[in-house]
Amino acid sequence: MNARDLNAWSGPGLRGVRRRFTWNGLLWSLVWPQRSHRVLPTTAGLVLIGLAMGIGTAAYNSSSNILFITLSLLLTCLILSGVLSWLNLRGVAWRLRVTPPLRAGQEATVTLELRNGKKFLPTYGLWFELAARPIADARDQRPESTWTGRDLDVRKILAQTDAATQRGQLACRTRLDPGYESRLEWIFKPANRGALRVELASVGSLFPFGFLKKSIGTELRADVVVWPAPVEYRRHAVATARRPAGGEHVTRAGSGGDLLALRRYESGDSHRLIHWKASARTRTLLVRQFSAESAEGFSLWLRMDAEVWTKPEQFELLVSFCATLAEDLFRAGRLMSVALDDAPPLPVRRVGDLEAFLDQLAVVRPAKGNSSLASPSPRAIAKQNVMTFAPDGARGVAAYVDGKKAATA
Amino acid sequence: MEKKRPQLSLDELHQLKWLLGGGLTLLAVWTVIYMDIDAWELMGVVTVAAIACTLWPTLPARVPPFAHVLAFPLIVAFFAGDLWLTASPLPAMVRLDMLLLLYRSISYRQRRDDLQIIILGLFLIVVAGVLTVSLVFAAQLLVFTAWALAFLLAITLVGTAEGPGVESGKVKNIAPAWAVHADWRRLVRRMREVADWRVLTLGAALFAGVVAVSALLFLAIPRFQLENSLFLERLVTKKAKSGFNDSIKFGDVTDIQQDTSVALSIDVTDRTQLPVSPYWRMLVLDQYENGTFRLSPVLRRVAFGGERTDTIVHGDARPRLGASVVWTFYLESGLSRYLPLLGSFELLRFRETQNFRHGATVGVLALRDEPLTMTAYRVEGFELADARTDPTFSAESRRRERTIQTWLNVSADDHARLDRLVSEITGGAKLSAADFSRRAIAWLRQNHGYSLSPVVPRGAGDPLVRWTASREAGHCELFAGALVLLARDAGFSSRVAIGFRGGTWNGYSNSFTVRNSDAHAWTEVYDPAAGAWLREDALEVPKTAQETETKSEAAIAARSDRSWSARLDSLRIFWYRRIVNFDQRSQIETLREVKNVAQSSSRQLRDAVAETIAGVREWLARPWSLARGAKVAALIAFVAAAIWGTLRHRREIWRMLAKGGVERRDDPVRADASRWLARLRATNIPLEKAETIAVVGELQRLRFGARATWSEPGRTFLRARQALRAERSTRRRINRP
Repeated sequence: MNARDLNAWSGPGLRGVRRRFTWNGLLWSLVWPQRSHRVLPTTAGLVLIGLAMGIGTAAYNSSSNILFITLSLLLTCLILSGVLSWLNLRGVAWRLRVTPPLRAGQEATVTLELRNGKKFLPTYGLWFELAARPIADARDQRPESTWTGRDLDVRKILAQTDAATQRGQLACRTRLDPGYESRLEWIFKPANRGALRVELASVGSLFPFGFLKKSIGTELRADVVVWPAPVEYRRHAVATARRPAGGEHVTRAGSGGDLLALRRYESGDSHRLIHWKASARTRTLLVRQFSAESAEGFSLWLRMDAEVWTKPEQFELLVSFCATLAEDLFRAGRLMSVALDDAPPLPVRRVGDLEAFLDQLAVVRPAKGNSSLASPSPRAIAKQNVMTFAPDGARGVAAYVDGKKAATA
Repeated sequence: MEKKRPQLSLDELHQLKWLLGGGLTLLAVWTVIYMDIDAWELMGVVTVAAIACTLWPTLPARVPPFAHVLAFPLIVAFFAGDLWLTASPLPAMVRLDMLLLLYRSISYRQRRDDLQIIILGLFLIVVAGVLTVSLVFAAQLLVFTAWALAFLLAITLVGTAEGPGVESGKVKNIAPAWAVHADWRRLVRRMREVADWRVLTLGAALFAGVVAVSALLFLAIPRFQLENSLFLERLVTKKAKSGFNDSIKFGDVTDIQQDTSVALSIDVTDRTQLPVSPYWRMLVLDQYENGTFRLSPVLRRVAFGGERTDTIVHGDARPRLGASVVWTFYLESGLSRYLPLLGSFELLRFRETQNFRHGATVGVLALRDEPLTMTAYRVEGFELADARTDPTFSAESRRRERTIQTWLNVSADDHARLDRLVSEITGGAKLSAADFSRRAIAWLRQNHGYSLSPVVPRGAGDPLVRWTASREAGHCELFAGALVLLARDAGFSSRVAIGFRGGTWNGYSNSFTVRNSDAHAWTEVYDPAAGAWLREDALEVPKTAQETETKSEAAIAARSDRSWSARLDSLRIFWYRRIVNFDQRSQIETLREVKNVAQSSSRQLRDAVAETIAGVREWLARPWSLARGAKVAALIAFVAAAIWGTLRHRREIWRMLAKGGVERRDDPVRADASRWLARLRATNIPLEKAETIAVVGELQRLRFGARATWSEPGRTFLRARQALRAERSTRRRINRP
């Protein structure tokens, strides 16, 4: 997630980027729209312009000063509309907040924070166009047909991308008083796992008279990762993990016999766990933390050989299945380590490790031409309770523990 | 941080909008008070209805639903009947406007209905202002503007608070919640709570600024008329390209440059009245001195009256029975301040007020200044005659034997030479003015040919006398001048008249076009017996040939111009007729034409309906058979199915029809994106760098994607330019030895 973008305020009221005030600059900014500022007349605006043109023509045709007065007033109203619109947007700033984690198929909330930095003028009637679009891999953005492709092909590709883009509009329906902040929430549902870009496409307003539709393009965006969607799976009784004799200690906090670490005393800790010597030495109350004693730990090993996972939907199921198993095992305290392809296994001790693994799962793709993945490495074979995956029929995925089917999805 | 002020709820905003809409309606209809239009009763009805419905906003819900269905047809029928009975469009339109305002007052309004109130109200205000030009108008316009701006603000705030796609007022016969709970005292209290004095002060200051800027704009708006060219034209010195001028000077070489641009366009209500060879007379030149003909100061003083400022000039032609033919002249700018005329006239009417001097006795109308714009004027009752009576000159010539028109200001040698020539022409006989002119013209045509580049023989004495005595070819000015000298030498008063002769009939615009190349000079010889000036043109088509021509449609068709330049000229005439010269008379003519078309079309429609009914009756009366009945049943079933299918799938059909207009292929952004893609493709940029891929992706989106998904076009094109430059510089670096 791009923290810099998320925390940054944007908009005309952004502090620190204001240029020195000059009358010349002010007039020029009123006459010439700034970059990414678009002003389009609405139906009412077109009527007003048509009316002004009609009255102007009549005025010149008849030399009637009454019509010239009316024409002057109409033109001035158009100018006033622009000035009030500028005043309305002046001093307003906004920023995006995306609350992780985002998970495919589940609702996510994007918060838009608004701030009116003006002295005494309120702000009315702003709306915000938001979009969430998947960030395609650079490899996917280079189709062979980029130069040679026909219009129809490109249109098709763009239509697919557009279909994957979710759009929303938030409106500030109430008055935003000077010095106040407001929050608007956009709730959307990411369809697929992967990298996702949430962006504020534009900010618009019809204020004050509805003649002109002013919109400001923004570059406020946040890149987030959408974890795989959880899937339903079935466990098989035959796949009960091997329980080694005498128990096996794992490097995770628990109630075993081996000392794992020392930590600060927290309210509710048993007094028997206080390590007095260390506490005296550090002058801080420390308690002993013992390693967990686990006999049912698993290691997940996800192999993504493209030759094995030829169907995209089956591969998606594999990733979701793996993510769901990883979470369930971690929640049950039985996830020891995880490994992707021939990368070294990573121990999973805390939530952060699991999240890092899910982040990786969010963006994995089938690996091509990696023949070494065809068979498990000797080191992995040597390890017990290793959970691997293989296609189960045409659509399903099965998880194996030491070669025995443990679960299917 | 400011203390949090309360906000108006959506219902309160609706109530405020309703109140402002009602007030605006009242402001607009009250303009009838100082308009001289018979709409007082209607104004009373609208006032009562608007006040009642504004104060008790549940009243519109009691209007029966069928009233809303019938409202529009009834209003249109009322307007049509009003227009038909009164035959005065503007009062009918004012009453129509008030009826529409009445309907909008007694029904719940959507956004577009609110906007209609503003437009309808503005129409009434402007009409009142234009008709009355009173100071009240200024005050009313200011109040109306302020009220309308507040109304528009309320409409926008309601729209924002309601959100897109939600709009109240669609259901006309159920009172909305805001109307049921309306309490104006409470609203006033809430408004007081919500109001911030600083914002109100700023609003008042901004409105004062609006008034000030309006005043400045009013002063600054350039006051040129549509038919005028821009002020820059005043900085250009115009050159007369034709041979026409208000003086004629004869030298050794008197070339005339041919210029075929349009000098004059004439609309005539009866084109058969056009003479075969029309003379568009502009000025007479009576004084000859030092080889130059000019208008003498004496004639200028005697013949021309004082300067007048008016739009109407009464001529000395006597009115005739029946509808007189109307000639509308469009004189191009930079030509002359003397107006071309066919002869004496009854009435001349300018389009706008002009400063002019009218020499009725000499038949010349002179503007004070040479107009810089097209000058339009309308003439009624031309007297188309070859001779022009001049009783003033007749009396004067009787009193004084010699006038300036008979004064021959040449040397004794030239005089003697002219005497010889006159003797040769007359053969020593005493001739009348007409006979002398005829013989002199024959003599001139016998001794001189026609040329636009004549040469006057060198030598001593007057150049015109030298040319007359020679056998050199000459143009109209030389022929006219020579005839004047010969006539004066023979004792006849004579003068040169200048203007245009002839022209062509534009078959596209049905108007007469005179070009600068038609500029002409001829002679006027005074016939004491007739007491009139005779038009004598040495270069005129012989009378015998003229007599064979008729003034019929065939003759006009023979002179008709159907070239490409005539097409262009017809556009100019259209502009003059329908835009520039569109005055009250044109408006009445247009209305009359509309009325005629409406009457004839309604008659045709009635006939067609009667004919159809008769046909149906006759068809029904025919004997029925099983096969015929089956055919009719099948036809009815087909029509019913078509109607049912159309009604059922009308939205899909509409969507399908409307879809064609949504995507525009000529969008400039798409065209630019296409150009950039083509440039990048031509450079064969390898699609390897992430930046290049991103730029190509964005360009393709601009080229093919939906508008809503576009990135900022300017920025994307800038990135494309940078990518192109980077690629080129990389290649240059690689190729450098």
